Amino acid sequence: MNEENNRNFDDELMAAAAKLSTEVTPDRDLWPGIEQAITQPARPGRTAWNSVWAQAAAVVLLVAGSSGVTYLAVTEDASPVSPVAEGPTLVFEQASAQFGSMYNLGPDYQDARRSLAVKIDEELTRLTPEERAEVEKNIELIRTAIEDINAALAAEPNNELLQKLLFNTYREELDLMLRVDSIASAAMRRGDI
Amino acid sequence: MMRVITLTFLGAFGATCVAAEEINQSLDAASDGTVSITNVAGMVDVEGWSRNQVEITGELGDDVDELIFERDGDEIEIKVKTKRRHSRDIDSELFIKVPGASSLEIHTVSADIEISDVTGEQSIESVSGDITTEAHNSDISINSVSGDLGISGDKKSMRSRLSSVSGDVDTENLSGEIDVESVSGDLVVVNGVFDRAALGTVNGDIVFHAQLLDDGRLDVETVNGGVDIEFAGDISARFDIETFNGDIRNCFGPEAVRVSKYAPGYELKFTEGDGSGRVTIETLNGDLRLCK
Repeated sequence: MNEENNRNFDDELMAAAAKLSTEVTPDRDLWPGIEQAITQPARPGRTAWNSVWAQAAAVVLLVAGSSGVTYLAVTEDASPVSPVAEGPTLVFEQASAQFGSMYNLGPDYQDARRSLAVKIDEELTRLTPEERAEVEKNIELIRTAIEDINAALAAEPNNELLQKLLFNTYREELDLMLRVDSIASAAMRRGDI
Repeated sequence: MMRVITLTFLGAFGATCVAAEEINQSLDAASDGTVSITNVAGMVDVEGWSRNQVEITGELGDDVDELIFERDGDEIEIKVKTKRRHSRDIDSELFIKVPGASSLEIHTVSADIEISDVTGEQSIESVSGDITTEAHNSDISINSVSGDLGISGDKKSMRSRLSSVSGDVDTENLSGEIDVESVSGDLVVVNGVFDRAALGTVNGDIVFHAQLLDDGRLDVETVNGGVDIEFAGDISARFDIETFNGDIRNCFGPEAVRVSKYAPGYELKFTEGDGSGRVTIETLNGDLRLCK
């Protein structure tokens, strides 16, 4: 009976999670500012990092939204929530995470990344050893690439190509974790497996 | 939420549960409805046909709990239920015929998937199964962890979103918009015609031998993979290409120039034709070949 209840709960939870948007709509429209930052030439005294931070803001929002979905999916007493999660405070500080040799990503990004990594570790236990090794190998590939780009940035900190590649590789790491989470959840969280 | 789920179950009709090895069942279906298929391991073969019916034949593994095959409105659900994922014999081979205009939603773990003659939208996810499908002017979205993806189209405009972690992605004759990404798999896009194409890998190689239409956009990015671009037909675009540590060999346009003091990277910026399109290629360590 308990097993049946759990199955029903899992089905219901997955259906609820599936209906949630994986994108976060902030309580104000951030896009005009982001677009301006991306498309307008840098003003004197500013660097290309401004647009990188604007893109990083989008990542923080994405990760925060996904973390919200993840939280719902793993919390047993989750109650119905609005599909619009509250966006985190957009803080980009020179904090603990390395993002190039001159800048760091803020604590919001790091918190979201850590929580997603923990979630992925849980999801990986649902895969076969071979599948798990495959995912872990690719996560390691991405992290090695991040290290390589960071090393290149240490020598050439103002190289915009490296800045973009680094940002996009960080994003790829998050994408990978989100994709694995999504696939594993969709395939294995159903009461049928 | 509960109400939705309850209605789904109450609205279901024609449901059958089978716990036999050989299967051969059919249900009436909408001509352009949605067929949802879940099978953990084994194989899923879907073929479009002219009848307004869904038919399943094949075999279920000995450790399969049951096969759910039911219709709810315009949706047909096919689900192989197993007691536990790692049971010994859960491999099930499903041969499914669906109305040709059906949309498909397929989830597998290690089951291979083959689709032919289905013209509706396709949404497919698999962990390690290989996926082979045809695309016919309806959008497709395919995600895999380690399985290879093979997609062939008929050059009708559509949107393709394809991703794999370590599997290779091969496409031919697609058209419209394509977005492909992989971490370590190779991406091959040949014989297509695109308004927009975005291809990205970390370690995989990228091949794009296709046409980019006027006003089209091609974005290619890789950290360590090689890039091979060969445009079919005329190309009119602004090119913005940069490598940090890779060579550029181009069959048209000016010579690439060195840009980095610390690495043998190159930059190549020029306009071809009236420059209506935009081509951006960026690599860290990959070499690039650009021809037309």
